[in-house]
Amino acid sequence: MALTYKTIKFKFFELLPLFLLFFISLNGSSVIDLKFFSINIHYILVYYWVLRQPQSLGYGFIFLSGIISDVVFGFPLGVNALSLLIIAAVAAYVRVVTVRITLINDWISFIPALLIANFVYFLSLYFSNHAVDYLYLFNNSIFTFIFYPILWGLFSLIINLMKS
Amino acid sequence: MDTSREDVGITIRSALLAKGTKQKFSLFALVILSIILISIETIEAKPLNYFRSFIKDTIYRGSLIVSVPFKTIDNFTDYVGDHLNLYSNYSKLKKENDELKNNISKSDFLELENTQLRQLIQEQVASTTDLVSARVMIDKQSPYLNSFIINTGSNKNLKNGMAVLDGNNFVGRIVDVNFFSSRVLLVSDLNSKIPVIVEPSGDHAILSGNGTNEPILEYLPENHNTQDGNKVYTSGKEGIFSPGIPIGEIKIENNIITTSLFSDLSQITFINIKIGK
Repeated sequence: MALTYKTIKFKFFELLPLFLLFFISLNGSSVIDLKFFSINIHYILVYYWVLRQPQSLGYGFIFLSGIISDVVFGFPLGVNALSLLIIAAVAAYVRVVTVRITLINDWISFIPALLIANFVYFLSLYFSNHAVDYLYLFNNSIFTFIFYPILWGLFSLIINLMKS
Repeated sequence: MDTSREDVGITIRSALLAKGTKQKFSLFALVILSIILISIETIEAKPLNYFRSFIKDTIYRGSLIVSVPFKTIDNFTDYVGDHLNLYSNYSKLKKENDELKNNISKSDFLELENTQLRQLIQEQVASTTDLVSARVMIDKQSPYLNSFIINTGSNKNLKNGMAVLDGNNFVGRIVDVNFFSSRVLLVSDLNSKIPVIVEPSGDHAILSGNGTNEPILEYLPENHNTQDGNKVYTSGKEGIFSPGIPIGEIKIENNIITTSLFSDLSQITFINIKIGK
C-alpha cells in the first residue's frame, strides 16, 4: 500500500513539469505579462528541468510545446520551438560541464541561455517579417533572469517532494 | 590547448547529439526540424496549408478546453463580486431608476425615433450581404502579437486580408485562415499598417499599431490640417479594404498624432467580417 502511494506520488511529481509545460503552452500563459514587467515562465521551466532532471522533460515534448505556443500566439511554426530548444541545449551543455549544481551556478549560466535564445527568437521573427518590440524583449529577458531563483526554489521543492 | 578544444567539442556533441535517458530525439535533430518549419512557413502550397490548418484548428480547440477552468473561475469571481456589491448596486440602480422616472416624458419621442432607426438598421443589414458574423473563440493577448482567434474560417469563405468590424467600426484584418478558425490581427498590433483618410481634413496617412490601444498616424503630408477630434476612416487605397469604414478619432498629445479607437479591443465578443472588397 505504502509502496503504491509512493509510486503514485513519484509519478505525479515526475509528470508535473510535463503537465505544466503543456498547460502554459495551451493556455497561452508562457509569458506572464504584468503592468511593469513580464516573465517568460516557459524558458525557466525548460532550463531548470533539462538541467536538473532531464528525464522528466523530453526534448520532443519541449519541441511540441513550442509549436503549440507558436500557434496560440500566432507566430510562424517553429519560432518558439527553436528558442526553447536553444534553452534546452544550453542547459544540457551546462549539465555536462558542471559537477555541483547550485542556485548561483544555475542562475549565472541562465544568462547565456537567455541571450542566445532571445537572439535566435529575434532573428527568426525578423526573417519571418514580424515586427518585435525590442524594449519589451529586453525587459522580458531582465525580469525572467531576476525571477529565476523564485521558480528555482519552487521546482527544487517539487524534486525534494518527489524524492521523499 | 588542443585537448581543451577537443573537450569542448566532445561536450557539445554529448549535449546536442546524444539522446540521453528517456529521450527519443536528439536536440540537434529537433533544432534542424524547427529551422525547416520556420523556412517552409512562407511557402504557399495546398498540402502544406491543409497541414497547417489542421494543426492550428486542433491546437485552438485544445487551448479552448484548457482555458475553460480559468473562464469558470473568472465567471465565479464576477458572480461573488456581484453578490458582495449587492447593496451598492441596489443604491446605484435606485438612483438610476429615479433619473429614468424623471426622463420618462421623453420616452414617447425616443420610442418613435428608435422604431425609425430600427427600420433603418434592418434595411442596412438586409442590403449588406457581404458581412459574415463570427464569435471570438480565443483571446489570449500575447505580449508580442495583438490578435484573437475567431470561430470561422475557410468554411465561410474567409480569406487573408479581409476587414474585421466590431459593429460598424474597423478593428483589424484576417491574417491566417484555417478550416474552422481564423486569426484576426488587431489594428493595435505592431505589424498592423492600415491606409486611412482623416476627415474633414482629407489627409491620407498610414495607421500603425504600436502595441497600445492608441495606434499612431504616420506618413501624414507635411502641411496637414489634422486636428484633435477629426475622424479616421479606411481610405480604400491600394484596394485593400472598402473606403469609409470608421476607425477612430484623432488625439494629439505632445505633437504625436494617435487615434483613439471607436471600439474597445479588449471587450469584443462578436465581430463582422467584410467578405467583399
